[in-house]
Amino acid sequence: MSDIKDRVAIVGLGTTEYSRNSGRTSASLVLEACIAAIRDAGIERDEIDGLCGSNRVIPAHQVQGALGIPACTWWANPTVPFQHQLIEAMNAVHAGSAQTVLVYHGNYRATGVSRSAIADPFRERAGPGFNVLASDPDTFASPVGYAPWAGRYLEQFGVGREVFGKVAINSRSNAIANEHAAMRKPLTMEDYLSARMVREPLTAFDMDYPVDGADAFIVTSTERALDLPHVPVLIHAAVMGQTDLPYEDQVTDLGHTGQQIVAREMWRRSDVRRDDIDVFFPYDGFTIICVRWFEALGFCGDGEADALFDDSWDAATNRLLLGGRVPVNTHGGSLSDGGVQGSNHFREAVDQLRGTAGARQVAGARHALVAPGGMFFNSGGVMLRSDG
Amino acid sequence: MSEAATDDEVLAAYPNTRIDQDNVEHYRGRLERRLLVNRCAECRLWHQPPRAVCPRCWSSDVRATEVSGRGTVALHTVLHLAAPSAGVAGGGGYPLAAVDLVEQDGLRFTAPIVDMPEPRIGDDVELTWITRDGSPVPAFRPAGAA
Ligand SMILES: [Zn+2]
Repeated sequence: MSDIKDRVAIVGLGTTEYSRNSGRTSASLVLEACIAAIRDAGIERDEIDGLCGSNRVIPAHQVQGALGIPACTWWANPTVPFQHQLIEAMNAVHAGSAQTVLVYHGNYRATGVSRSAIADPFRERAGPGFNVLASDPDTFASPVGYAPWAGRYLEQFGVGREVFGKVAINSRSNAIANEHAAMRKPLTMEDYLSARMVREPLTAFDMDYPVDGADAFIVTSTERALDLPHVPVLIHAAVMGQTDLPYEDQVTDLGHTGQQIVAREMWRRSDVRRDDIDVFFPYDGFTIICVRWFEALGFCGDGEADALFDDSWDAATNRLLLGGRVPVNTHGGSLSDGGVQGSNHFREAVDQLRGTAGARQVAGARHALVAPGGMFFNSGGVMLRSDG
Repeated sequence: MSEAATDDEVLAAYPNTRIDQDNVEHYRGRLERRLLVNRCAECRLWHQPPRAVCPRCWSSDVRATEVSGRGTVALHTVLHLAAPSAGVAGGGGYPLAAVDLVEQDGLRFTAPIVDMPEPRIGDDVELTWITRDGSPVPAFRPAGAA
């Protein structure tokens, strides 16, 4: 089989408003994003023969039925984080299982992650959602695991919580410039440091901001993409990384996680090098994940992110500009655009690479690295490029 | 020692825990205040969390085996629980640690910590038992506290 590099492209993009209270179902939001993506790609619904989205949001057959897509030959419903969906679609198109795949994801602010959600009778009826904490408190399994590893990071490298605060402020400053973002209230280091602890040493500012919202993408062959209206965004390299100790409390140390496997494979497979990247999207569902992506991918050494952030801080925009040039999570990330398990990082990367990011546009952006997923068992990396 | 608890008794003692055939021996041990961790009878590797197969030699002869409960703090946090959890009131801080057990490099067990207001990575700890909802729960305290 021929090399998959640059052979599959993202040609359509759709999103919805991200909000705390959409007053709608998750399925309704996903369908809105899907219709927008199909129209954006300039194709008809009967050209879609593949579906790939998150089962726990809405299964493929329900999307197909609701949108009246006449015939599909391939579908898959991978779990979150959002990366599996896109990578599976890429593989299916390259293998010939489908020609044109509708990829979708949505999030619904569920009672399991948002305490105030219980006040809404529809949310109560919809149940706790999928990121639910264990009923038994004596475990680091589930999202709880990020707190003790954040603490270990601070203790091991002797740095202060400001390193996490800088990630939160960067996301917020970018969100303030993005009308789509759900959380746009200015955030200072003083605000960050004085916030109430949720799971020490993490506060609510270290955790994604749960929203109702959805994103959708159209994925097809690069060959076919050349006949479609938008500048195609090519999937240059796509990697997943996981180790044999994929349990939150058994991970050997921060240097032995899926992130290191992603980094090794990304820099082996990608012809686009770190210095070529124009905009960087490290997943920020928890600030510690984001900090470690900079280090694992080699933007700095282990424990050196705080110094990198200081060296890269652009005072004028109150955000990171790596090397004085490369912005990070220009949409505001999970922390401020909204927590949707990473589909928005890809949406913004595509917008940037085809030059449709509006006021946030990075001039001449050609290469974007998205580093989705977490540290314990679902790390990923996707290098996207366009030829402008 | 009295007769071992039945499966029904173990399930009844820990109503909020997801107990299954792969970890029920561990919870049966709790009722006798013995901390049991799975160990392969063939290659002697310990593993956590409990599984039916040894991850090194693939033997299915894995046995819940008592550990000393001695070790050092590898990870720690305090959970500020928004809502009450099984047998734990909401609102207060709930200190929790993963402890590197002395039995094997990298073998960790996660449990509440007691009498450790400022835990640090590397602190020596030992096993103790607390009671929650009327059932024994393993916990760690500073070594030599007894
Ligand atoms: Zn073995």
